[in-house]
Amino acid sequence: MIMDRSLSRRPIPLPVQRQAEAKQPLVIIVDDDASVQEALSELMLSAGFEAVSFSSTQALLETDALDWPGCLILDVRMPGSSGLDLQRHLTTTGNPKPIIFLTGHGDIPMTVQAMKAGAVDFLTKPVRDQTLLDAVNAAIGLDAARRAEAAKIKGYVERLQTLTPREREIMHEVTRGRLNKQIAFDLGISEVTVKLHRGNLMRKMEVASIGELIRAWEALPVRMRETNAA
Amino acid sequence: MIAALRRTPAALMVVTLAVGLAACWSTGTLFGVLAPLGALFLYARGYWLLPLWIGLLIAFAASALVALLYPGAIRDAALSLGAFVAVAACIGLLLWSDPSRSGRWPAAAQRREPGQQDGLGPVSEHSAIHPDDRPAIAQAAAYAFWTGVPQVTSYRLRQPDGSYHWTELRAEPGYGVSVDVDAMVSRPDDRWTVAESLGATVEAVKAAKVIESLHGKAWAFDAMGKFTYVTPAAQVAIDMALEDLNRRLGEREFIDGGEAGWMRGVHPDDVDRAASTLRHCLKTGEPWNIEYRMLRATGQYVWHRISARPTRDDEGRITGWFGTSIDIDVYKKTEAALRAREQHLEQLIDTVPAMIWSMTGAGHPVYLNRRMMEVTGATTETVTAPDGSLTLKKMIHPDFLDLAERTFAKSVMTGVPYAIKYLQRRADGSYRWTETRAEALRDEAGKIIRWYGVSVDIHDLITTQTELHLRKQELTRLVDLVPSFLWRLTPAGAPNFFNRRFIDFLGLDEGNHEQSQTEQYAAALKAALHPDDAGRVWAELHDCLNSGRPFAMRYRLRRHDGVYRWMDGRAEPLLDEDGSIIQWHGLSHDIDDQLRVEDALRESEQSLRQLVETLPALIYCAAPNGDPIYRSEKLREFLGFGLGDKDEDGSTRLAGTLEAIIHPDDLPDVKERYGRSLATGSPYAMKHRLRRADGAFRWVETRTAPMRNVEGEIVQWNGICFEIEDQVRAQEALTLTQERLARAAQAASLAELSASIAHEVNQPLAAVVANSHACQRWLTSDPPNLERAQKTVERIIRDANSAADVVGRVRALFRQTVEARSLCQLDTILYEARDLMSEEATRRRIRIEINVEAGLPPLALDRIQIQQVLVNLIRNGMEAMESAQRGALHIQTMRSGAFVRTEVRDMGEGIGAPDKVFEPFFSTKSNGMGMGLAISRTIVEAHGGRLWAENNEDGGATFLFTLPVEAKADHDR
Repeated sequence: MIMDRSLSRRPIPLPVQRQAEAKQPLVIIVDDDASVQEALSELMLSAGFEAVSFSSTQALLETDALDWPGCLILDVRMPGSSGLDLQRHLTTTGNPKPIIFLTGHGDIPMTVQAMKAGAVDFLTKPVRDQTLLDAVNAAIGLDAARRAEAAKIKGYVERLQTLTPREREIMHEVTRGRLNKQIAFDLGISEVTVKLHRGNLMRKMEVASIGELIRAWEALPVRMRETNAA
Repeated sequence: MIAALRRTPAALMVVTLAVGLAACWSTGTLFGVLAPLGALFLYARGYWLLPLWIGLLIAFAASALVALLYPGAIRDAALSLGAFVAVAACIGLLLWSDPSRSGRWPAAAQRREPGQQDGLGPVSEHSAIHPDDRPAIAQAAAYAFWTGVPQVTSYRLRQPDGSYHWTELRAEPGYGVSVDVDAMVSRPDDRWTVAESLGATVEAVKAAKVIESLHGKAWAFDAMGKFTYVTPAAQVAIDMALEDLNRRLGEREFIDGGEAGWMRGVHPDDVDRAASTLRHCLKTGEPWNIEYRMLRATGQYVWHRISARPTRDDEGRITGWFGTSIDIDVYKKTEAALRAREQHLEQLIDTVPAMIWSMTGAGHPVYLNRRMMEVTGATTETVTAPDGSLTLKKMIHPDFLDLAERTFAKSVMTGVPYAIKYLQRRADGSYRWTETRAEALRDEAGKIIRWYGVSVDIHDLITTQTELHLRKQELTRLVDLVPSFLWRLTPAGAPNFFNRRFIDFLGLDEGNHEQSQTEQYAAALKAALHPDDAGRVWAELHDCLNSGRPFAMRYRLRRHDGVYRWMDGRAEPLLDEDGSIIQWHGLSHDIDDQLRVEDALRESEQSLRQLVETLPALIYCAAPNGDPIYRSEKLREFLGFGLGDKDEDGSTRLAGTLEAIIHPDDLPDVKERYGRSLATGSPYAMKHRLRRADGAFRWVETRTAPMRNVEGEIVQWNGICFEIEDQVRAQEALTLTQERLARAAQAASLAELSASIAHEVNQPLAAVVANSHACQRWLTSDPPNLERAQKTVERIIRDANSAADVVGRVRALFRQTVEARSLCQLDTILYEARDLMSEEATRRRIRIEINVEAGLPPLALDRIQIQQVLVNLIRNGMEAMESAQRGALHIQTMRSGAFVRTEVRDMGEGIGAPDKVFEPFFSTKSNGMGMGLAISRTIVEAHGGRLWAENNEDGGATFLFTLPVEAKADHDR
């Protein structure tokens, strides 16, 4: 899904020639004030992060920057759609990009709203460099973990596609904790055949144990689990 | 024998009886006994005769009928009866001719039955009259019989010996007498021969007696004129005896010029002539012939013709005179009457306004009346050609001569009446239209003996006729040209005239002569009338014809090309003097196009009316004086009443309506302005409250404008009324909201401003901080990235300057408003500020007390900025007293030298550092920006004043600011 979307966007012009390298974390800065943009970019660069800045959320959405791993530093108050609007948009489209809010003067309701919607931090300008960098680090870590998880699930899904219908059926029965002979009886096949299938599917799913198989099953999206059950 | 029988009725009876018995005997029937009935004629008188005749006629007719119908014995009996009746009738006829019996007819002369075609009764008698006298006698008899005028005429009667004797006939109604005067009065040839012979042989008296025997009246007198004999009957008639006649009435004898008694019996006008001629005759012996009026015993003068002849002795001496007098009164009077008539006739002919002439059968002119001669100047000579025939050349216009001569010749030859119209030459040489007609008088044989003609001047007639003809032509042309259809009906409703246009419209074929024009017209009309209209048109027409009221209808008529056109038909009866209808004159007008236009107009009007009625507005119209004359449906619904419902006595419709519908508070204003508009003609527009049908008053906007005609006079006022209740309410709500908003905005502006300034300053500050960190990192990194650090430092300087600019801009913001300043009263601004904050003050339970010194001069201020300062100070004061939750804020304004000083005193806790509070971003409040007082000071100083704070001795703080009375230039600029 993410890949599909990136096709329609133009690649971001990064200042450093590292696009080809696999998914270095990218800090995206959105602020309507050009001097603030520059200062924050400078700070990120000095701290060793890749950074790209936009003056509005619209400019950001026109590029594929959001597909990159990394985090967002958003100004709350901007002309056009605000930082909070962008957060809402990302949530509804299912993009789990971590967000750090930065504002001139925020109030408590604004902060609560942002944090509830899953913001990593809510900072006020001017901000101490360490505070901001800590938040950026945390956000990048969070993003990396989310991405790893997503990759794992994706692997499970891909491997599930290789299973025969009978193997999926048996996999479902196994994850429900049923015994081989119960499965054999239910399906009207011999226990030996069940074991054979079970061995095949374990190998195909690249799991070493039943516990691992169950975790893989649980990690699968609900939709897929239901279709296999049927 | 008959004459003898006539004289003896008894003998007649006997004879008739004998004849009757003889008939009875000869026929062998009893019918003969009826013969004496015939004798009844002898005695029948007057009206008896007629029944008798009728009875005989019936009897004869019946017997003839019976004889025809029945054979044998009955026929014989009938024949015998018929014969008898015939005999009786013959007798009756014989007797009846006796004039003494025939009382029914006026007496006619000669015992003859007058009135017959030949005018003279029996042929035998007729033939006894000399042939030369017959026409005269016939005419006289007929004249006497038919007119009753007595006639005296003379004629020659044949005597049995074949000779003719003169007889004088006098015929009068009731009697007639015929006297043989031949012996005495004769025509020139043999007159007086008898008398002369008498006079020569016998003496006068004897002669007189002879005359008496002849005439029944005679007299004689001697040579001296003395009467010697007068017929006794004559003496009685004139009531004079001989003595009376001869009585001398004076000294002298008659012959000597004296008067004699007989002269008394002569009419005074005639007496002298009579006496003198008599004397002359007596002296000379000439016969005395004279006519004079003689006094009768009855007292009347009667004309007599007197004739006297002398008798002479052998020596020729006159021995006496004898004579007779004949009563010629009737004759004389008749003659006078005739003369008068002739004269009258002549006058008539001469004075009749026509030219009368006559000519012989051969065409020779014989008579022209005077008028003709006068008018045409012609005389008998001038119109007579040398050969004696008529010549017309001098009388007729050359153009007509040929025609006239031909017509004349034809008439003369064939005898047809002559009639011609021509231009006749007049005495003065002019020509005038004349009509001449002539008829021929024929004799018994049918030969033309005379042409009698009359020429009438018809010039005026002809001229008039020509004129009339022209006028008629003109009228006809007019009738045909008039762009309408004219027609005429008989009283019964049959059309007898269509004008040319109508005929063309209907496409009538006039060549059809089989039908009468009326029938043609009626048929055409019937065919042309639209079937849908025919019924009502005929009914209406019939009704009109019966009642005589004018006809007026619209209907469709088919044109010759088959198209039906709408017509407006009207007809009115033409009445004669007694009010009966002679004719109906009608006019039809083609109104098809007009109707179409009217239809279109009506539709247009309908749609307009619908438009007006359905428009969601209240529409009305008023007369030029303002009286309402129209209200749209919506307005009537709104008001709940119609136009006339509020009409009351004593007030106009306008006043009544206005009072009924306008809100009492608005009424005077509306009346005044509406009245002014009506008077001046200017459009009227006003918002007021209008009473709805349910009694609620609703706001409306009324606009009225005059509609003018071509002359610019106001014909009508047209008005429209919008209901603007919702609008007014919305406006009110809007105003309220706006006020509230403005209040809130004003109250909040400084806080907003502060936040905005803070953001503005914060951005560059944030950039500066971030850049500083970055710079530090670049410098501390190993190896230090000096290039980037340098770049970062440049950015830090830039951003810091940017922050300083923001502060500068803020200061400038409050300085650049000198142009907005105006003179105003500070207290007004103060009250406004208090009003703005009153809500907040109430919420905080703080009382705001204001004390303003009277007579403060107006100041040149930017009222919004000063208001903001005041609001800011008030809010600060109230916030300072927040913990107390009660108390009062005192505001005081007073004159202080060249300044006006304002103090805002709170009852809070006071200020720690009164000078510091005015520094930017200094705030004692948890949520304050710290900009309010700084800005306030900027504003006041921009106005050339000062703002400072003091702590009160009794607690709390006072903020004071001064403003210069004289506006002076901003010292900062």
